[in-house]
Amino acid sequence: MGLKSNLHNLKLKYQGTKMAPAFNAIHTFLYLPNETTHGGTHIKAADDLKRTMNIVIMALVPCLLFGIFNAGYQHYAAIDAAKGIATEASLFGNFLTWDNFVIGAWTVLPLVIVSYGVGLLVEFIFAIIKGHEVEEGYLVTGMLVPLIVPIDIPLWMLAVAVVFGVVIGKEVFGGTGMNILNPALTIRAFLFFAYPTWMSGDKVWVHEAVERAGTADAISGETLLGAYAQNSSLAGIDYMDMFFGFIPGSVGETSKLLIILGAAILIFTKVGSWRIIFSTVIGALIMGLIFNGVVDAGWIGESSKFYGLMSVPFWQHLIIGSILFGAVYMATDPVSASQTNKGKWIYGFLIGFISIMIRVFNPAYPEGVFLAILLMNVFAPTIDHYVVQGNVKKRMKRLKVKTA
Amino acid sequence: MIEHIELFFKSIFIDNMVFAVFLGMCSYLAVSKKVATAVGLGAAVIFVLAITVPINWLLDQYLLQPGALKWLGEEYATYDLSFLSFIMFIATIATMVQLVEIVVEKFSPSLYNSLGIFLPLIAVNCAILGGSLFMQSREIETLSLAFNYGISSGIGWFLAILAIAAIREKIRYSNVPAPLRGLGITFIITGLMGIGFLSFGGMLTGGEEENAETKEQAAEVKMISEEDKELANNTKTIK
Repeated sequence: MGLKSNLHNLKLKYQGTKMAPAFNAIHTFLYLPNETTHGGTHIKAADDLKRTMNIVIMALVPCLLFGIFNAGYQHYAAIDAAKGIATEASLFGNFLTWDNFVIGAWTVLPLVIVSYGVGLLVEFIFAIIKGHEVEEGYLVTGMLVPLIVPIDIPLWMLAVAVVFGVVIGKEVFGGTGMNILNPALTIRAFLFFAYPTWMSGDKVWVHEAVERAGTADAISGETLLGAYAQNSSLAGIDYMDMFFGFIPGSVGETSKLLIILGAAILIFTKVGSWRIIFSTVIGALIMGLIFNGVVDAGWIGESSKFYGLMSVPFWQHLIIGSILFGAVYMATDPVSASQTNKGKWIYGFLIGFISIMIRVFNPAYPEGVFLAILLMNVFAPTIDHYVVQGNVKKRMKRLKVKTA
Repeated sequence: MIEHIELFFKSIFIDNMVFAVFLGMCSYLAVSKKVATAVGLGAAVIFVLAITVPINWLLDQYLLQPGALKWLGEEYATYDLSFLSFIMFIATIATMVQLVEIVVEKFSPSLYNSLGIFLPLIAVNCAILGGSLFMQSREIETLSLAFNYGISSGIGWFLAILAIAAIREKIRYSNVPAPLRGLGITFIITGLMGIGFLSFGGMLTGGEEENAETKEQAAEVKMISEEDKELANNTKTIK
């Protein structure tokens, strides 16, 4: 009883003052809102924004948990590798261990806390200044952000980027539902271009690799894309490891199995658009097939700097890197994606297509998925505009036929 | 053929007139309220760039470059008239725009009316002069490449104004803070779109420096992305 009635009393006390949205937000976040809609309702649906957001978060939790264990696992595996011991991944043998969890929690949870703390602070400030209720929009963004950054990113960088992403990416457009770019990707893009040394390379993906660089027990953990881009051979990594996610990478993107599980949740609850997910995958596969065709035709020799990634079999593009994570959790953002059904097919297809293109042709950016999604966010309104205009034209024609 | 395709994609996406070098901003900001007018202006820009860049290429090649006057006789081979480029280029552009205007008015009055004041205004659109000057500074080799460059940089500008017009139509009902409404939010959108277009920065070229050195430290990735920025500033020439 205690907290709830206290909050309710505070709510009543501060009703009508500037601080009211803050207390309301805490109240609705923790408890069921005790208010019903005033006035006539026109559309009845069981879900509201909060429920939608919670489903996405539920779909993300497996990735987060896996990311925590994987952070510890990669840490110890890299230390063993530096000593010359090869590690064989086995789920219960050396993956789901207490040691891994401690290391992972020690590194991942601060990212989550900073992301939520800073982001929600900004949201609260804006809600109080502008006098509207705190919107739930940050719940998903705050969960996505820790999953798409390297494990050892300094927390202050994350905080700066979150402030940038929430203010410039979202609040200046009027808050949740109005933004044109996905806020989580805006945050990642800010980090990527402002602090490139911490966002790419072969040191940042494994805990403590940066501190140990140059010392006697230096460890390294390069992502597979980095290795491919340098045409180096991939020794000791098999496809099942890639699929299950026992590889270095951003916190939440590695396990393709859990991402597929999340996709199933999102598609089943109709929160994520299956059109976007499938068309992204199709786009990526087609681009991969084109590149494979180029390699098979012999237009690109082994000496070419693009050979390494171009010769990757097309289906492997899906299990290396973060294209699945981007397709399932990022591209399906209902605000910044295309709104029309036909538009969603085009939008998703181009995301997959351009992602693989950037991955292969742009060695400066080892992973292009997030940039491809941002680019298509920019063009989503254009696609929608033409799809809608096309529909208008079609109906006008029909109308003419009828009246004629 | 390969260099044509490369130049085409490069000028549309990598060296986009709006997002890489921020040229032609005035009409880009002013005429992007509705998609229909934006398309009209974008088409006009493509058209004018496609005409003026090859003409200016000819001027540059046979009149302005150091040694361009060789065809007049050996004694002119040392002449360097490149200090005249600005005035020559802008004169060509103004004439061509005027000509285009007359032709369009004569043969398609409806298009002329829908473009309205924007058609003459193209003469002072910096993207047009920029196209000619980049053509000069990047030493584009043949007439057909210059034509290609004109068309493709026009398409890049067209895509930019099309995208922002659609976005501005979409956010018309957004609750943008009052001081930012109108131009302010447009500038912010342009910046965010620039981040989107950064995805192409350094594509195709970014790896050469990287391959030359053995990549040891992540810091080198930073160097490469700095070089990308130089590319955006046009200190590099198109190959």
